[in-house]
Amino acid sequence: MLAEALEHLVRGIVRHPDDVTVRDKQLRRGSILEVRVHPDDMGKVIGRRGRTAEALRSVIGALAGKGGAKIDFVDVDRRRR
Amino acid sequence: MSDQTPVTDTDDVTETPDADNTDEAVDANDASDLDTDGTEPSGEASSTSSPEDLLETEGEIAADYLEELLDIADLDGDLDMDVEGDRASVSIVGGDLSLLVGRDGEVLEALQELTRLAVYRETGERSRLMLDIGGHRADKRARLEKLAADTVATVKDSGERQALTPMSPFERKVVHDAVAAAGLTSESEGEEPRRYVVVLPQS
Repeated sequence: MLAEALEHLVRGIVRHPDDVTVRDKQLRRGSILEVRVHPDDMGKVIGRRGRTAEALRSVIGALAGKGGAKIDFVDVDRRRR
Repeated sequence: MSDQTPVTDTDDVTETPDADNTDEAVDANDASDLDTDGTEPSGEASSTSSPEDLLETEGEIAADYLEELLDIADLDGDLDMDVEGDRASVSIVGGDLSLLVGRDGEVLEALQELTRLAVYRETGERSRLMLDIGGHRADKRARLEKLAADTVATVKDSGERQALTPMSPFERKVVHDAVAAAGLTSESEGEEPRRYVVVLPQS
């Protein structure tokens, strides 16, 4: 549900909604929602001084409840190291 | 079609300057300070439609965006759309929505921010849409109006100016409006984020 909600929130604000994917990565220490967007949309999802990223974290954090949720933003061209 | 480098700020290109307002206009603009990055909107600029039509369109886009979120999160809530003065307003009512309000309305502010961005994407116009959830903003407004009325009474009695505690731009706007309606004037002093309203006695 969290990944789906996050995908919806991000798709609604970017120029390339079809390039948005969210993966729920299960790690040993908990899960991370990995958001991939078109490189041109990176600035849009981060926002000035990270304000949009903060807003996304706040809403998803509220929906996640107690455990909270970690969100990682990646652009589709970049491989994670 | 290609965007500029992200994270540059284009400033208030679409903000219409209010000509004859002083502090209230500034405060109102503060409240709508919607950060955008340096990208062009992808939506059609609705420069041909009337301001009222644009505000109604804003409400519809916002309601679609929020409705689907409620759906996905399996939360109950009805959406009310309205136009209040020069702003679109959307409220989510019904059910237990405290989750989406958060402490001090923090989640509500975040959701409003995202909703404004979603509207901007579609219309190409920076939106000043107000979102309310579970009557949170309405309650806050009522408390501030009460505070303003009480302060006006005190100032009329004493004939001395009275400063209030620091408030957000939205809160100050509510107080300024209420003071003006009660026949006194007020101004904002101090610097953000500790800017506050001062209610002035009749001169």
